Amino acid sequence: MWVDGLFVVLTIANLILLGTTRLSHSIRVVAVQGVLLALLPILRVESIHVTRALFLVVLTAALKGGVFPAMLMRSMREASVRREMEPMLGFTASMALGVAMLAASFWMGGRMQALGLEVSPISMASVLFMMFTGILLLTARRKALTQVLGFLVLENGIYGFGLLVAGSVHWLVEVGVLLDVFVAVFVMGIAVYHINREFDHMNVDELDRLRG
Amino acid sequence: MIGYGVDMGDGWIFAALLAVPVAGMIGLTQVRNSFRLLYTLCALVSLQALVIAWAGWRLVAGPAGGLHAGWFMIDALSWHHLMVMAVVFTVSTWYAVSYFKAELAANTITERAMRRFGSLWCGALGAMTLVLTSDNLGLLWIGVETTTLMTAFLICLHRTPASLEAMWKYLLMCSVGVAFAFMGNLLIVAAARGTGLGGGAVLLSSMLRQCAGNLNQPVVKLAYLFLIVGYGTKVGLAPLHSWLPDAHSQAPAPVSALFSGFLLNTALYAILRVTGVVEAAVGNTGWALGVLRLFGLVSILVAAAFILSQSDVKRLLAYHSVEHMGIIAVGVGLGGGAIWAALYHVFNHSLCKTLAFCSAGRLGQLYGTHDMGRLKGVMARDPVWGTGLVGSLLALIGMAPFALFVSEFQIVKAGVQTGQWISVGIFLAGTCMVFAGALQHVLEMAWGEATEHHEVVRRSRLEIVLVTVCLVGLVVAGTWMPAEVRDFLMAAGRIVEGR
Repeated sequence: MWVDGLFVVLTIANLILLGTTRLSHSIRVVAVQGVLLALLPILRVESIHVTRALFLVVLTAALKGGVFPAMLMRSMREASVRREMEPMLGFTASMALGVAMLAASFWMGGRMQALGLEVSPISMASVLFMMFTGILLLTARRKALTQVLGFLVLENGIYGFGLLVAGSVHWLVEVGVLLDVFVAVFVMGIAVYHINREFDHMNVDELDRLRG
Repeated sequence: MIGYGVDMGDGWIFAALLAVPVAGMIGLTQVRNSFRLLYTLCALVSLQALVIAWAGWRLVAGPAGGLHAGWFMIDALSWHHLMVMAVVFTVSTWYAVSYFKAELAANTITERAMRRFGSLWCGALGAMTLVLTSDNLGLLWIGVETTTLMTAFLICLHRTPASLEAMWKYLLMCSVGVAFAFMGNLLIVAAARGTGLGGGAVLLSSMLRQCAGNLNQPVVKLAYLFLIVGYGTKVGLAPLHSWLPDAHSQAPAPVSALFSGFLLNTALYAILRVTGVVEAAVGNTGWALGVLRLFGLVSILVAAAFILSQSDVKRLLAYHSVEHMGIIAVGVGLGGGAIWAALYHVFNHSLCKTLAFCSAGRLGQLYGTHDMGRLKGVMARDPVWGTGLVGSLLALIGMAPFALFVSEFQIVKAGVQTGQWISVGIFLAGTCMVFAGALQHVLEMAWGEATEHHEVVRRSRLEIVLVTVCLVGLVVAGTWMPAEVRDFLMAAGRIVEGR
C-alpha cells in the first residue's frame, strides 16, 4: 500500500519534469525522485540484511539527493543557462505525449504480470513511465544539461525496476553500478562545460556537423 | 561473497591482470616526460600481454572448465578475446609512439593531454580486461560501462567542436544503451527465481548455465532482447550505430584503432557471453542465435549502403567496422560450424582494422586531410603506410589470400551446409556491394595521380616492422590453421551455443 502510494508520487514528479522550463527546478525534482526511490527498500519488510540495506539506502540517497544535484547546479552556473527554451517538442505536446506514455505503461505493466513477474501493476507502470520520461527528455530537449537529467531519470526508472523485479542484487554489484553512474554524471558534467566553451551555449542541435 | 572457492594459483592471474592496468592508470598521471610516458605505456601493455599468455598456458594445462576464482573466470571464449585484446593493444600502443612523436614535434598536442592519454589508455585496458574476465554478469556490465567512461575523453584529445560533438554522442548513446543492458541483467535475476541461486551466484554465467533449464523462459527471452539492444548499441549493430562513424573519425588514430579493433569486440563479447546462457535456457532451439543473426544482416546491409557514399577514409573504415561486426554476428547466428569461423574472424578483423586505422592516421598527418579525393597516390608518396592502408583495405573487403577472406568463406560454407539460404544470400549481397564500392576507393587512393609532386617519405624501422608484422600475420592466419587452434575455437563456439 505504502509502496504504491510512493509510486504515485513518483509518477507526478515525472509529469512535472515534462512541463517545467526552469532547469534548477528540474534538477530538484530529479533529486527528490532519486531520494524517494532510494528509501524504497526500507518500506519493503523482506529486507534481511539490515545493515547492508541501510548502507545502500544512505549511499544512494546521498548521491542522488546531494552529490548529483550539486554537480548539475554547478555546471548550470558555469554554463550560465537557466531555462530550457524552445524544446524540439513543445511543453504542451510533451505533457500530452506523457499522458499517452502513462497509459502505455499501465498496459505494459499488466503484460509483465502475464510473464510471471509478480509485481504490483501500479508500481510497474510507474517505473516504466519513469524510463519513458527519461528517454523523452533525452531525445526531445535541446540543452545538453537536460539530456543529463533525462539520463538520470532513466537510471532512476531502472533502479526502481530492479527493486521491483529482482529484489536486491548483490550489494557489491549495486555499489559498482552506483559508482559507474556517479562517474558518468561527473564525466557528462565536464563534457557540458567543454561543449559550452566551444559552442558558446549548450544547445545540442548545434551538434550537427557530423553527418552521413 | 567474492572469496568463495578461490584457488590462489589462479587467483594471482586475475589479480595480476587487473593490477597492471590500474597501476598504469594511476602511475602515468605523474610522468611528465611524454616520451618516457609512451615507452612506459609500451612496457605495461607488453607486461599485460605476458600475463595473458601465462593465463593461456594455465588454461591449456588446467581443468576443462577453465580458470575460476570467485566472480572471475577465464574459459576458451574469454581467453580468445583476451589474446585479441593483447594483439590490438600491443600494435596500437607501439604505433602511438610514432604517431604522437610526430604530433609532439609539430606541437599539436600538449604534455598534459599526453598524460591524460596514458592514464585513460591504461584505464581502458583495465576495464576491457574486467569485462573479459568476469563470470558475474553484473560485474561484466560495470566493466562495459567503465570502458565508455574511460574512452570518452580519448575521442576529444584534440579539443575541437567536431570531436566534442562526437564524444557527447558516444557518451550519451552508449550510456543509455548500456543502461538498457542493465535492465536485461535485472530480468535475468528475476528469471532465476526458480533456480534457488542466491546472493552473488545468481548472476554468475557459469552457474546460470548449469541450471538453465529452471530459468523462466519468457522472462529470459525478454532479458536477451534488452541485452542485445543495450550492448548492441556499443557494438555498433545497425540501426544503433549512429555514434560510431563520428567517434571513429574524430578520435586520434591510435584511439580509433583501439575503438574499432577491440572496443566494439568487448561489447560483442558481452552479447556472446549471455547468448550462451540464453541458448541453454531456451533448450538450444537457436532462438537467441536467430535474433543475433537478424541484427547482423541488417548491419551488413546498412554498412554497405553507407560505404558506397563515403568520402572520408576514417568514416569509410568506421562503416567497415559496422559491416564486420555484422559479419561476426551473422556467423555466430548461423550456429554450428559458422561460430568458430566467426570467432576466427574476430581476430582477423581486429588485426586488420588496427593496421587500417594506424595507416590512415599517419597518411592523414602527411596529407593533412582524411578526404579520399585528396589522399591519392599514397603508394608512391609513402610506401610503408601506403602499403599498410591498401593491404588492409583489400583484406577488409575480402580479398584472398588474407585471413578475412578465409573466415568469411568458412561462414558462408557453414551456412550453405545447414541450408540457411536466405541469410547466406543477404550476406553475400552485402559483402559484394562493399567489395565493389570500396575497391574503387582503394584503387584511386593507391595509384591515383597526386595533384602535386612530393618527395618519397622515409619511415622509421619501428613503423616498417609494424606494417610488415600485421600484413604477414594476416596472410599467415589465412593460410595456416593448426588443428589445435581450430579445436580451441570450436570449444569457444560451444560456449556461445550454450552446449
